[in-house]
Amino acid sequence: MPETLRVTGLDHHFGDLQVLKELEISVGRGEFVSIVGPSGSGKSTLLQLIGGLLEPTAGGIEINGADAIGRRGLIGYMPQQPALMPWRTVEANVVLAREIAGGSKRDSLARAREWLARVGLEGFARSYPHQLSGGMRQRVAFLRALISDQELLCLDEPFSALDAMTRADMHRWLLDLWEANRRAVLFVTHNIEEALLLSDTVYAFSHRPATVLERISVPFGRPRRAEVTDDPEFIKLRRHLTDLLTGTPAAPR
Amino acid sequence: MTFRKVLPPAITLFLLIAGWQVYTGVSGIDAWLLPSPKGIWDAAVEQRDVLGTHTLATLELTLYGLAAGVAAGVLIAVVLHLVPVLRAALYPLLVISQNVPIIALAPLLVIWLGFGLAPKIVVIVLVCFFPVAVATLDGLGRSDPSIADYLLMSGASRWQLFTKLQWPNALPAMFSGLRIAATYSVFGAIISEWLGSEKGIGRYMILQKSAFRADRMFVAIAVVVVLALGIFGLVALLEKLTVRGRRNA
Repeated sequence: MPETLRVTGLDHHFGDLQVLKELEISVGRGEFVSIVGPSGSGKSTLLQLIGGLLEPTAGGIEINGADAIGRRGLIGYMPQQPALMPWRTVEANVVLAREIAGGSKRDSLARAREWLARVGLEGFARSYPHQLSGGMRQRVAFLRALISDQELLCLDEPFSALDAMTRADMHRWLLDLWEANRRAVLFVTHNIEEALLLSDTVYAFSHRPATVLERISVPFGRPRRAEVTDDPEFIKLRRHLTDLLTGTPAAPR
Repeated sequence: MTFRKVLPPAITLFLLIAGWQVYTGVSGIDAWLLPSPKGIWDAAVEQRDVLGTHTLATLELTLYGLAAGVAAGVLIAVVLHLVPVLRAALYPLLVISQNVPIIALAPLLVIWLGFGLAPKIVVIVLVCFFPVAVATLDGLGRSDPSIADYLLMSGASRWQLFTKLQWPNALPAMFSGLRIAATYSVFGAIISEWLGSEKGIGRYMILQKSAFRADRMFVAIAVVVVLALGIFGLVALLEKLTVRGRRNA
């Protein structure tokens, strides 16, 4: 069975500016993969290429074994801002991605309600986004991506605008949800700890032009608890990645 | 609307009318020059049957004209929004067109279109389309870029971007244009009736002016104000039913 996402030799330029250089990334079925890199390293550009909004200068992108260059509507997407429509109720927002794909309205709504209930938001199905807290809005945005039924979910720094406590809360929530219902996830972040806590595999990106500095398999099993961050191995990995990304000579592993 | 909000203007209005009544009584000014509020009220009561017919005719004309004007405004906004070339070519001309006084244009419309309903509707459309077109165009162009980004990443077509994001996002702006158009529409109807018509408050005004019946002209003005307020209220109600959630939350 082909991998869910396979990126090979991907180059991208904006005019004379090279943003991505010979990227090799793969996301297996049900695998949680993070990309960490400094701000402005072209992580969002990579997502736009995968989403089909841009076409790469060179290289290949395959989703489920099929060429995905310039093809849209193949991924579930969760942006940095929740980007909920303020005039739609929570449930009407959750069905949006399915609506775009042209699914049956009644089925979508039933699934949205089922998922909202599963994550304890059933009391808010008819609320409007402005009545929700920041963390709740992100949960809604994640459900919207999740019920799009795409094999691959792309999450673009989804928790970077949240405060530390809400963020920790969201990590636990996402881990529980994802472990119960595995999907291939490509998670973009500049938070090293977040990447290690959530992922099976972490790719460290360099400064522009972004290229893969290192691919790290995270050696912790599932289900994963938040306490894993206290594990000496975790601390060592975090140190290593921090050195790698801040350009300090890498300590021996 | 709260009581505290209504009270100050109500008191002002009451004092104004009371002062007017006192002035006409004390100064002994001729009623054909400035009738007293009491005299105007009496004229209204006496003329109520005739006024009813004229008011209904004006109301009907106004609603037709307003509907056509709003439709034209929205259509223009949508077309200019979807076709940037047309927007660049036409938008400045639209703005300039608003400097043409409708009252100067009206007789020409009669020459071209005759004395029927058509030139009257056109006058109201010309008065009403502009605020709706400008406000809607503005609303269409101001949708949240992060939602647009989300929609595109999720595979939305340009048409879906319009129907799911830009159009619903433009509704509140369209309604603010519509509220302005609603207040203008009655005024447009009155002007169009001056062009020549059988009935309507505009026609009634002309008749009373030639008869030097200032009291009845004041009655007509009051009717126009009430009509405009009523249509404004209708639009506000429609807005409340249509626009849900809070924008730009």
